[in-house]
Amino acid sequence: MAEKSIKQGVIKGIIKLTVILGASFVLLFMFRKMLPAPTEDGYRLLPVIGSRVWVWIVAQLHLNFAAFVLGVPIFAVTMEFLGWRRSDERLDRIAYDFTKLFTLAYTLTALLGAVLMVSLPLLYPKFIDHMMKILGPTWWVYILVMYGEVFVCYYYFYSWKRMKDRKGIHVLIGVLLNVMGILMLLITSSWVGYMTTPGGVSETGELVNRWQAIKTYMWIPLSLHRLVANVVFGAGIAAAYAAFRFITARSDDERAYYDWMGYTSAMIAIGFSLILPGIGYLLGVEIYAFNEQMGIQLMGGFFAWLWVMQAILIGAILFAVNYYLWISLNKMPGGQRYFKYVKFLFVVIFLGYAVWLTPHSVALSLEEARRIGSYHPALGKLGVMASKNTAVIISYLATFISFAIFRMSNKEPVVSWVKTGQLIRILLIVGSSVAVLGLGVYSYMVPSVTRVKVLSPIQFGVFFLCIVALYLLDSRMYKGARIIGEPKWGKMPERSQYALIAITVTFTWLMGMMGYMRAGGRQYWHVYGIMKDTSPEAYLPSHGTASVIVTIVTVLFFLLVAFIFWSIMKLERFSEQRRAG
Amino acid sequence: MTNFYPVVALLGLAISLISVFRKSPFFNFIGIQITVYGLLKSAALIMPPLPGQVITMYMAMSVFAFLIYFSIQEETFRAFLEPMRAVLADRDKRILRVVLVFILIPLLAGYIAYAKTKPSFEPPVSARIVHPEPPQQIDFRGKTIKILGLENPLRKDTEKLKDYIEEGKKIYYQNCFFCHGDDLDGKGHFAQAFNPPPLPFRGTDTIAQLPESFVFWRIAKGWRGLPPGSAPWDSAMPAFEDFLSEEEIWKVILFIYEASGNKPRTWE
Repeated sequence: MAEKSIKQGVIKGIIKLTVILGASFVLLFMFRKMLPAPTEDGYRLLPVIGSRVWVWIVAQLHLNFAAFVLGVPIFAVTMEFLGWRRSDERLDRIAYDFTKLFTLAYTLTALLGAVLMVSLPLLYPKFIDHMMKILGPTWWVYILVMYGEVFVCYYYFYSWKRMKDRKGIHVLIGVLLNVMGILMLLITSSWVGYMTTPGGVSETGELVNRWQAIKTYMWIPLSLHRLVANVVFGAGIAAAYAAFRFITARSDDERAYYDWMGYTSAMIAIGFSLILPGIGYLLGVEIYAFNEQMGIQLMGGFFAWLWVMQAILIGAILFAVNYYLWISLNKMPGGQRYFKYVKFLFVVIFLGYAVWLTPHSVALSLEEARRIGSYHPALGKLGVMASKNTAVIISYLATFISFAIFRMSNKEPVVSWVKTGQLIRILLIVGSSVAVLGLGVYSYMVPSVTRVKVLSPIQFGVFFLCIVALYLLDSRMYKGARIIGEPKWGKMPERSQYALIAITVTFTWLMGMMGYMRAGGRQYWHVYGIMKDTSPEAYLPSHGTASVIVTIVTVLFFLLVAFIFWSIMKLERFSEQRRAG
Repeated sequence: MTNFYPVVALLGLAISLISVFRKSPFFNFIGIQITVYGLLKSAALIMPPLPGQVITMYMAMSVFAFLIYFSIQEETFRAFLEPMRAVLADRDKRILRVVLVFILIPLLAGYIAYAKTKPSFEPPVSARIVHPEPPQQIDFRGKTIKILGLENPLRKDTEKLKDYIEEGKKIYYQNCFFCHGDDLDGKGHFAQAFNPPPLPFRGTDTIAQLPESFVFWRIAKGWRGLPPGSAPWDSAMPAFEDFLSEEEIWKVILFIYEASGNKPRTWE
C-alpha cells in the first residue's frame, strides 16, 4: 500500500473521508424523512436494544479507535525521531509499523464516527439541537481539523519511504499530525466537559458565554487524562499486535523483531501509565470543585463498586507487567543472577495489590452484617485513599525496579565506585519507600484537605524523584559497562505474549468502564443541572448490566482490531508475493 | 470454629515447606493457598471476621499471583505442571486418573449443584454502600437547606465555641448516647439490638473522612434519607429533624468531632 505515490495516497484519504461524511449527511437526511417524528420531549426510541445502549456501544467503540489513532502517532514519531538521531534502522521500522497500524485504523474510526453522527441527531434530536446551539461552531472547527489530520496522516504514511533522506522534515510532519490529534482531542473533550460540568449558560440553558461553555472545570484535566491514556492504550494495542505476530511468526528473525516490538510498546504503555493516577487525581479534584455531590457519587456512592473492580484490574495489569519483565530475565545472559530479587519484588507487589483492592463498601450477608456492622476496622483503614495511594506508589516503585533489573541484567558495571553506587541505590529505594509509607500513615492523622492537596502530591513527588535518581544513577554506573551477552530476543515462552494481550484487553475494558462512570456521574441529565434526560431510559443501569455492555464493546473492539491485524498481514504477504513474482 | 483456622494455616505452611524441600512447586502452591485462607479466617481472632466477599477477593488474588510466580522460570513451571501431566498421562497413575475423572470430579460437580440449588432461608447478600452520596439540598421542617458547600455556622463563633460544645454534649447524651455509646465507639446500650450496629465516631477513618454538611444531612434525615444503594431499610438511625432544631444538630456535631478528637473534612 505504501507503494502508492504521496499524491494518490493523500487524495485517497481525502476522498474516503468526504464519502463517509457525505454518506452520513445523506443518510441522516433520509432517515429524518423516513422515520416517525420524535416524541414531544425529543426522543426516538430504537427498538430491541434501546437508543441508549446503541449510542453507548457505538460511542465507546468510536472512542476506543479514536484513542488508538491519537495515541499511537505520539510514540510513532518519537521512535522515528530516535531512529533518525541514532541511525537505528530497527526503531525506524517499528515507527513505520505503528504508522501502518494507525493509518488503517483511521478508516474504521471514521466509519464508527459516522454511525454515531447519524445516530445521535436521529435518536436524541432535542439534545443535539441544544449542543449545536451552545457548541455548534466547535463542530465545524472539528470537521476542518479532521480534514487537516487526514491530509497530514496520509502524507506522513505515504511519504515514509520517499522522504527517507529528509527525515527531519518527515519527523516535523509527524509532529504536525500530533498537533492536529491534540486539537481534535481538545474539541471533543470540551463537549464532554460541557455535558458533565457545564458553564457559560443560564439555568435555562441559554448561551451566555461560549468560551466559558468550552472552558469548563473538566476540560483540561479530562483532555490531559485522555491524552496520556491514549498513549498508554495505543502502546498497549501495539504490544498486543506484536504479541500476536510473535505467536504466529514463522521465523526466528520475525520472532526476535516482534519480541522487541512487544517489549518496547509495553514499556511505553506502563511508563506513561505511571502519570495517569496523578492526572486522574487532578480530574477528581476538579469534579469535586464543580459539584461535591457528583464527586462523592463517583468516588464513594453508587459507583463505589466499580472502583473496586477498577482496583482489581489495575492490580492485575501491574502484576502482568511485572510478570512479563520477570519472564524476560530468562532471555538475558546473566539474567539468572537477578531471580533472587524477584521473590522480594513479588511479595511487595502482592501486598500492594492486597491493599489496593481492599474495598470500603462490602457485600454482607445478614449474619455478617450482624457481626461486623457497617464498619470494619481493617477495611476501614485499608479501604480509604491514604492506604491506596501508598500501596499503588510502592507497587509502581517495585515495577520500576523490575524494569531496571531487566535493563541491567546483562551488564556488569566497571566504574570504580560500583559499591558506593549500589549503596546509593539501596538507600534511594529504602529511603523513598519509608518516606512514602510514613507519609501514608501520617495521612490518617491530618485533615483530608491536607492529605489530598499536600501529602498525596508529596508521595507522588517522592516516587518520581526516586525513579529519576535511580535512572540517572544507573546511566552513570552502567556507562561503558561490560556486556555479558546480547539479549536473546525471541527466546520468550508464548505465555509471556498472552500476558501482553491480557494487559491490553484489561486496559480496553477499564477504559469502557471508567468512561461509563464518568458519563453516569451526570445521572438523569444530558447536561448536568441544565438539560434533563426525560427519556424512558433516564436511569443508571445496574452494575451487572453496565459490565455486560462494556464487555460487549471490548469484544467487538477486538474483533475489529483482529480484522486490522489480519489486513496488515494480508497486505504484507501480497507485497512480498508481488516483489517475488 | 475460629480457633480451628490457625491450625489450617499451620497445616498449609507445613505442606508448603515440605514441598519446598521436595522441590514440588505444585504442592507448594496448594500449601500457600491453604495458609492464606487459614490466615484470613484467623483474622476473626483479633478483629471482627473478614466478610466472605473480601476473603473471596483475596483468595482469587492469591491464586492469580502465585500462578504467575510459579510460571516465571521455565524449570519451575515445568515442575509445577508435572503432577498434572503425570496424573493425565502416566501409565502407573491410571487408577488415580480413573478415580479423579469418574469419581472425584463428578462428586465435586454434584456437590456444587446441590449447594447451589438447596433451599436457603438466608436473605440475599446486601451490597451496601458505606459512603452514600448526599442530596444537593434537603427540606428541613419546611426550610430548604443546601447541603452542598454547607458549613457549620456555629464554628465561626469562636468565643462561644466551648459553650456550644458543652450544649452539644448534653444533646448527645439525651439523644445519641444510647446507640453510639459513652465512648463514641458505636457500642451504646442498644447497639447489640441493631443490625447493622451503629457507627463509631472514633478513629481517623470514620467521621474525619466526612464534611460537617454530610453529618448534618445524616443526622437530620436518618435512615429514610439514605439513597437506595445504601439500603435505608438496613438502618435504624432516626430522622432527628423530628426531635432537634437546626442549631441543636450543629451543636451535637461540634461535640462529636471534639470528643472523638477528629476534624471535619474540608475542601479548602
